[in-house]
This record gives sequence, structure tokens and C-alpha cells, in this order.
Amino acid sequence: MGNDLALSATGLVKRFGGKRVVDGIDIAVPKGSIYGVLGPNGAGKTTTLRMLLGIIEPDAGERTLLGSDHPREISDDIGYLPEERGLYPGMKCKDAIAFMGALRGLDWATGRKRAVELMEQTGLGHAPDMKIRKLSKGMAQFVQLLGSVVHRPSFLVLDEPFSGLDPVNQERLETLILGERDRGATILFSTHVMAHAERLCDRLCVIAGGKRRFEGTVADARALLPMKVHYEPHHEGSGIKAILPSDAVREEDGWRFTLPEEGIESLLVRLIDAGHGISGLSIERPTLHDAFVEIVGRKAAEEMA
Amino acid sequence: MNHLARMIRDTFTIARRDFTAIVGTPTFLLFLLAPVLMVSFGAIGGAGGAMVGKNAEAKQRAYAILSSDAAAHFTAVDKRMRDIFTGDATPVDVEVVAPQGDPATQARQLLDQQEHDVPAVMYGPLDQPEILHRNEKSSTARYLAEVAEQVVRNQAAGITQPLSTPHFVHVARQGSSIGGKSATGFFAVTILFVLSLMLSGQTVGTMAEERSNKVIEILAASVRLESVFLGKLLGMFAVAVVFLAFWGGLVLFMSLFLPSDMMSKISDMRPAFGIVPFALLFLGYFTMAYLLLGSVFLGVGAQASTPREIQMLSLPITIFQMAMLGLASASVALPDQPISLIARVFPFSSPFAMLAYAARSPSLWPHALAFAWQLLWVGLSIWLGARFFRLGVLKSAGPRRKKRWGRKVSEPMAATNP
Repeated sequence: MGNDLALSATGLVKRFGGKRVVDGIDIAVPKGSIYGVLGPNGAGKTTTLRMLLGIIEPDAGERTLLGSDHPREISDDIGYLPEERGLYPGMKCKDAIAFMGALRGLDWATGRKRAVELMEQTGLGHAPDMKIRKLSKGMAQFVQLLGSVVHRPSFLVLDEPFSGLDPVNQERLETLILGERDRGATILFSTHVMAHAERLCDRLCVIAGGKRRFEGTVADARALLPMKVHYEPHHEGSGIKAILPSDAVREEDGWRFTLPEEGIESLLVRLIDAGHGISGLSIERPTLHDAFVEIVGRKAAEEMA
Repeated sequence: MNHLARMIRDTFTIARRDFTAIVGTPTFLLFLLAPVLMVSFGAIGGAGGAMVGKNAEAKQRAYAILSSDAAAHFTAVDKRMRDIFTGDATPVDVEVVAPQGDPATQARQLLDQQEHDVPAVMYGPLDQPEILHRNEKSSTARYLAEVAEQVVRNQAAGITQPLSTPHFVHVARQGSSIGGKSATGFFAVTILFVLSLMLSGQTVGTMAEERSNKVIEILAASVRLESVFLGKLLGMFAVAVVFLAFWGGLVLFMSLFLPSDMMSKISDMRPAFGIVPFALLFLGYFTMAYLLLGSVFLGVGAQASTPREIQMLSLPITIFQMAMLGLASASVALPDQPISLIARVFPFSSPFAMLAYAARSPSLWPHALAFAWQLLWVGLSIWLGARFFRLGVLKSAGPRRKKRWGRKVSEPMAATNP
């Protein structure tokens, strides 16, 4: 493994009841980056994360986390927010955060002190002495998130961190993740909501059906699909369809088609010469969501074939 | 930080959380004071039962229909013989009545009366008495016959006063009697069993609680499962120690106010070691019994995910505990039989059987060996519990080692059930 990688895994396999739920996944996470693991529900994301952390052992494959082949041995340097949130309902918020820190080697007193500071910073300054059972689901989730970073880990793993949070708390979480990255931590998170990945991830991989379908930057993913053109003619005429590219489809207020390889300019000249004019024109880059659907859908189609 | 230091740290982190979470709740007070309810109900029931028994005994009376000269002798012998018996063995009071009319009819009337329960009535000459009784094995009837025999013997020999005037000298025992040792063993084993039955069974539900509140993944991701299991066990044990200290202190304090005859009975129950070393051994074996049974219950309970499954598990767990008590009791009753050795060696009955052994034998080294053996099994039970949890709940084998049997272990492991 190169020194610039915080995590590398090759050929990870996990079978449950004879079914390969993770089937030969490779991941390489550069130090100091935010890395996204994307995939539809049931893709194998959580199982992959659990194997990377050593919570469960892979049936095959190797992984190296922060230079160690045994992730459990360096767990003090790891932060983890599991997909299934769980806290002791009878504990005070600051104690719950301190307890999670203590499990990672942070002394209780420091944990409590940092818990109060973190809660203050994230808008929960009123709640350190509140019992977990008194919190809303979103607040409890945020408390657990703070518990996963209270010991200032070098590597932070967040499994579906945005699910269950309202937009305000989602924004707070994005700020917190960026803050952790700025502190020097490497962050690996899973999600099936593309908007967060698009905003946060330096690199990402897409998992579907237990296999890795894509690995690269957000730009790489978006570049998998051509740009789209939305054109609104000034004068709609009967011959316009013949001028537009063959994939052009009629939309309510215009036409939509793939940007021609040679560019848009010559097409626009032909449209103007034919008298259709231009009432509106936009060239749109595909979103990560488009790329995701393309990646997962195309591969699934290939498998079915 | 090496593995051991880290494991200790993690274990105590979990134990501390569990301990404070339990003792900091109002439910703990209820748990601590539960024996008050038990003792109160027991005392009420016991007092009621004793009262009923005493009333029944007070209503019992035997009769001897005798002429006035025979009556005096009979009463004197009855008084002397009665001194031989104590407690429940004391014969029923015998009332001597003068004959009125036909003695046989009078005897039947006395036997059938409604005022008292009459187990036996004697009438006729003392050398050939007729004794009516209600029970074939009536000790009262035989007692009346024996008093009559003594009266007739005395009259035949012309004895009017006791011929022997003994001088009783009380000599206190230096060591403990065989009976005292056995009683101590049985008493100690029973107390140990009741404590472990009440306290170690609580570990059954602790992992199910972690699964239901979904904290288990936090724990499993942070620390080794063995630390989770051991930490939970020690946390619960600390709760048990608080319970034991509270009630132990209270019992010691109460013992200051016990009547002297009860204290002398207790002081006869001296173990071979002496009270203080035996008490220390008791604490040691309580710890071992708790950890051994608790680790098994924790491991078994960890496989359950719902309160209903926990309830279903409580029956086999109770049967297992009763089997251990049976084995230990057999070792008390039959100290020289192979069953005693089996009970001492079988790890889950070993603390009970070894405590009984401590009551009758002053050897120390078997206890050192027993503690080491039992600790080994505590470790094994925790390791097995964690392993089964990993396989059954987390669907994963344990961390792989670099080499096993000379080959690199990176091949697929056996598939686990979903």
C-alpha cells in the first residue's frame, strides 16, 4: 500500500448463507480525503464497511487500514457511525458521547468536556445533560455522530449518516464532515443520496449487487455520460425534427438531445438558417444521480443479458 | 498499548457503564430490597405455620386412667423420663385421671372427646396395661407403655428414689464436630446456591438489551467481543457485590442481637478452616460461581433477541442451576464417594462442591488449584460465548491469523447462515 492511502482493500468477499453479498470489492482511500461509497439499498455497502473495520471478517480478500492489516488493533484511531443508530436511552448526552470516546481510549473527563464543546458547536448546547430518551430522533443521531468523532480519529467511517436528518441537520453534518477533513481526518461514508456525495466526495465508488461498478472522482462519474442540450425554438416548424439529432425528444417547452460530438455551433447555424430561431438554449452537464442510474442500470442490464 | 492492557481498559469501560447504569436507577433499589419482601412473606408464613402447629400440639393430650397410689408413681416416672427428650421429640402431655365406672368405656370416651386430640389412652393394671391409640406407629402409646414398665420395675425392686446422682460437666469442643462440618458445608452451599441463583441469572438478558437498543454494533466496532462479554459480566458482578455487601453487613449487624442459644447453635457450625478463612473462601467461590454461571447465561442469552426468547431460556437455565446444586449437595452428603470428586472437578459445580470441601478439610492447595481451574473455565465460557455471538449474530468468524497449520489463511471461510 502506498503511504498516501489511508485504506486499501482488494478482493473483499463475504457470503451469507451461500450468497455472495460482497463479491470482490476493491477500495483505495487517499489520506485526508472524503470518500463516498454509493449504492442502492442492499448493494452490500454496510457489509463492506463492516469488513473494512474488522467488525466482521471477509471470507476472502485483504484490507489495510492506517497501515495495519488488523483494523481492530488500531480501533482507537477510528471513528464509526453505524447505519443502525443505537444509544443507551437512560444516559445523558454528554455521558453517551464520553462513553463512545472511552471505548476508543479517551478518558471520561476529557470526553465529557469535549462532548459539551462539540454539542455547543453543533447547535445542541442546550442538551448535554438531557437524557437520550428525551431527544428527537435527529438529535439522538447527531449525538451519536459526535460520539464517533469525540476522540478525534484519523479515520472516520459514517454509514448512511444523512438518513433521518432534516435539511438543517444535514447541512450541519456536511459542515462537521468538512471540519473533520480540515482537521486531517480521512472520511469514508456510504450513502444512496447523490446530492451529498456530489458536494462532499473527493473520490467515490459505486457498489451494486455486491460488486464495485465504478471508482473515481465525481467529475469522472459525470463524464461517463454526454452533456445534454435543451433547446427552445423561436418558431416551431414542421421540419425542425429533421435538423435536430436523431435522439431529440419533444419536451413541453422545447427539445432535448445529446450534445453532438462536434459541438452545438453548426447545429445552431442550421436551425437559424431554417428560420426556427432560438428562444432558449441550455447545455447541461449530467448529474451524479444521472451517472449513478446509468452505472447501476447499465450493469444490471448487462447481467440480465 | 499491548493487547492485555487494552482488553482490561475496554472491559472496565463497559463494566463501569453497566454498573453505573444499573445502580443509578430506582429499579436497583427495588432489586436491593427484594429480599425484604421475600423475608417478610417468609416470616409471615412461617409465623402463621408455627402458630398453627403450636395450637395443634397444645390441643394434643394423652391419658392414663390410674388409681391414686399408681398415679403418684406414674407421674414421678413420667416427669423424670420427659427430661430425656427435647424439642419436637418431647412426648405429648399425659394427664392422669381416676377411674370412673368401667375403665374401658371411660378410655373410649376420653379417646373420642372433642376438646383435645387424644393419640393414646392407657387403663388397667400397670403390669398389663390396655392402651388405645389412633396410630399404629404412635410414639405416645409406646411412651405410655415404657412409663408403665418403669413404674412396675421400680415397684418390683422397691425403688422410690433415683439410684444414681450424676454430675454433668460441660466441656467445650476445641475443633468442629463432624456433624458441624457437614452442617456448615450444607448451609454454605445452600447460601452460595441461592445467591448465585438470584444474582447470576440476571446476566441472561444483558446482551439481548444491547441488541434491542442497537448499541451492540458500536461496542463490536470499538472493542473485542470478549471485552464486551467480560465487561458486562463484571458490571453485573459489581452489582451483585453491592447487593452482597449490603445484606452481608445487615446480617452481621443483626447477628449481634441474636439470642444466646441461637448463637451457640451457629457457633457449633464451625468449618475445618476457621470462620474467617472460610468466609474468604466463601467470597472467592461466590465470585467463581457467579462468573462461571453468569458467563454461560450471558453467552446463551446473547443468542436471544427478544424478551420472549429470554423467557424461554430461563427454564433450561434454572434446570442447569438445580443440577449443579444437586451435584454439590451429593458431594456434601457423600464426601468419600466418586460423585464428590466429580462435583469438585466439573467446572460449573466446582465452586459449590469446593466450598463444601472447605468445610470439612483444612487443606489449602486444592483451593488454589480449584480457583485456577474455575478461572480457566470462566475464560473459556466467555471466549465461546463471544465466538457463538460472532457466528450466530454478526455472521462472522473471528479475526483471522496470519498462518494456520503452516498455510496462509486468506481462503474463503465456511459460509455462515443468514
